[in-house]
Amino acid sequence: MIFNFKTLYDGDTCGHFGQYGGRFAPKGIFSFQTSYDGDRNGHFGQYGGRFAPEMLIPALEELENVYIRAKKDREFEREFMSYLTGFAGRPTPLTFAANLTRRLGGAKIYLKNEGLNLSGAHKITHCIGQAMLAKRMGKKRLIAETGAGQHGKAVATVAAKFGFECTVYMGERDIERQRPNVFWMQRLGAKVKPVSFGTKTLKDATNAALKDWITNVHDSHYLLGSTVGPHPFPSINRDFQSVVGMEVEEQVKKIEGKLPNYLIACVGGGSNSMGLFYRFLDKKSVRLVGVEAGGRGVSKKGGHAVRFSGGKKGVVEGYKSVFLQDRYGNLSPTHSVSAGLDYPGIGPQLAHLKNEGRVQFTYATDREVLAAFSLLAKTEGIICALESAHAVAFALKLAPTLSKNKIIVVNLSGAGDKDIFIIAEALKDKEWIEFLKGKSHL
Amino acid sequence: MNLIDLQIKKIKRNKQLGLMVHAVVGYPTQEKSEMLIRSLINRKVDFLELQIPFSDPIADGPTIVRASEKALKRGTNTDSVLELIGKLRGDIHIPVIIMAYYNSILSYGLVKFCRKAKKLNISGLIVPDMPPEEEDRERFIQTSFEYGLYPIRVVSPSSSKKRLEINTRYAKGFIYSVSHFGVTGSGVKIGNDLVGYINEVKKTVRLPIAVGFGIEKKEQVEKLNDIADIAVVGSAIIRNYEKGGLNRLKLFIKELKEGTIY
Repeated sequence: MIFNFKTLYDGDTCGHFGQYGGRFAPKGIFSFQTSYDGDRNGHFGQYGGRFAPEMLIPALEELENVYIRAKKDREFEREFMSYLTGFAGRPTPLTFAANLTRRLGGAKIYLKNEGLNLSGAHKITHCIGQAMLAKRMGKKRLIAETGAGQHGKAVATVAAKFGFECTVYMGERDIERQRPNVFWMQRLGAKVKPVSFGTKTLKDATNAALKDWITNVHDSHYLLGSTVGPHPFPSINRDFQSVVGMEVEEQVKKIEGKLPNYLIACVGGGSNSMGLFYRFLDKKSVRLVGVEAGGRGVSKKGGHAVRFSGGKKGVVEGYKSVFLQDRYGNLSPTHSVSAGLDYPGIGPQLAHLKNEGRVQFTYATDREVLAAFSLLAKTEGIICALESAHAVAFALKLAPTLSKNKIIVVNLSGAGDKDIFIIAEALKDKEWIEFLKGKSHL
Repeated sequence: MNLIDLQIKKIKRNKQLGLMVHAVVGYPTQEKSEMLIRSLINRKVDFLELQIPFSDPIADGPTIVRASEKALKRGTNTDSVLELIGKLRGDIHIPVIIMAYYNSILSYGLVKFCRKAKKLNISGLIVPDMPPEEEDRERFIQTSFEYGLYPIRVVSPSSSKKRLEINTRYAKGFIYSVSHFGVTGSGVKIGNDLVGYINEVKKTVRLPIAVGFGIEKKEQVEKLNDIADIAVVGSAIIRNYEKGGLNRLKLFIKELKEGTIY
């Protein structure tokens, strides 16, 4: 009688107990490779590498070694996946944008809604991965830089979850633009340190974070938030984020029975775009498009962040890539309505993919972005981040030029809640302004 | 023979600690920068380190970051730095070492930069973000040597024995040892940790040792006498200048000099 006793709470034939259990089938996140990967020193064609001061090289080597070991460890992938599903809320849905598709009358548009992740953006994924590596290295504290506050919030989230101390550097200008995320980071227990030098934006926050790391390298891990920086950061963050593309491939095949024709993502440093593109790099039928921040237009110097219009090769913040810089190599000021995209550098692998012609780049201006944001909200019921609205803006142009049997996947890298102040101001929303005035008497 | 080697021989002969002083060229203005540098070389220091200001100086602390920003705002660039050095060159009789971030040199053109530096009788280059691992592709060390410039290698307390070996394989002149875990200008205690680490460096490489980052007082310089060959002072020069102009700076350098013959 022992072995045929059954209860209502038993597992299924594969050992799943509700959402738990089951036989873990590795997805090969960490064994996947493409013909566009870097060499062992993290060089992607002529870009990448590790141009770090000596003070940081041992820490970068330590990170690289622990990552190489983790990649071979099935348990690491299992744990990573269990945090993604049980904590971050993956997989995120691939939503057919039926109304938008009908309205544009061309290709079918699908939206990968990364905004539904815990903390509101794709950033949580590489934060979980790096927090697991930091644990393996025995670090006590996480340091991070943030632009829009999305990465900072995700770092603060994993710091709380994994039990790390946390310091997030953020440019004073970005703090002004993204106050809600500062507030949430502090509620999550992080120290948010304003950066008052340079252009007071993301690149300066990165500088400040690197200096903190130089000082506290023995007990702190620098949780760099994009596919930029010295080797191995571009490869590590890409691998973690590759679950986005992996999910898209599964989802779109299930719904449509074939691969998409276009993948579109906004590009700041490259974490969401590399995440979406990576699994498709060697699937040449899928066209990949990166959308940079056109700001007030590329003809205006300092008015945009389009690295592939006016940028040139350089070595800054520990890596070689394409940077917006003056003729003496000093980084140029940038502008974008979205704080997450106005970064003068771009991930080295993306620069390489551009050279190889594998990823096409275009840009969307602030005005196009706000229009795309509004249209998406009203037609599809999704309030996306201004960063992600860059990708939407290009999809709006592209879809009508394609036939109805084509498929476009747009990465909505984050949710737009954080942008409430910028959007209200840009749309000149009178009621909101009155509301703020009323609040200011408090 | 490179001027650095001659100067080191002289220091050793005199049994004193060498003093290397640092200035951000173009800070606070091109004219005042010239006066500041002149006042440094008039005080009989042993080495002069001149920094090309850069927008994203990752190894520098707040003092040098602010000074660099100021210099850039006033229009300082690699050309104006080299121009000023050219103007001063006749009056400088000690080795001059240029400190720059790699992008300043890369965007100028490595060969063009080295050629100009050689013409200006520069003795060495300190480029903190150019590690030996990138040498195969960048040919920075090789090109420096071709133009008679010593690419000064930097080591830090975090460097393992293996890294000390890698870093010092092509070292000439002296080894620049970062004094502690921190950026430039963040104070350092000259204690057992530093002594232990410098001894490790000495085991790996038979070159004179310069210690920098956070050296700001005569007492620190005095203590370095027993440990190192050269003391490097940077941020503290800017801070003293900001507090009391050239007069205070002169007194400060005089004090440091006293520390070197302890």
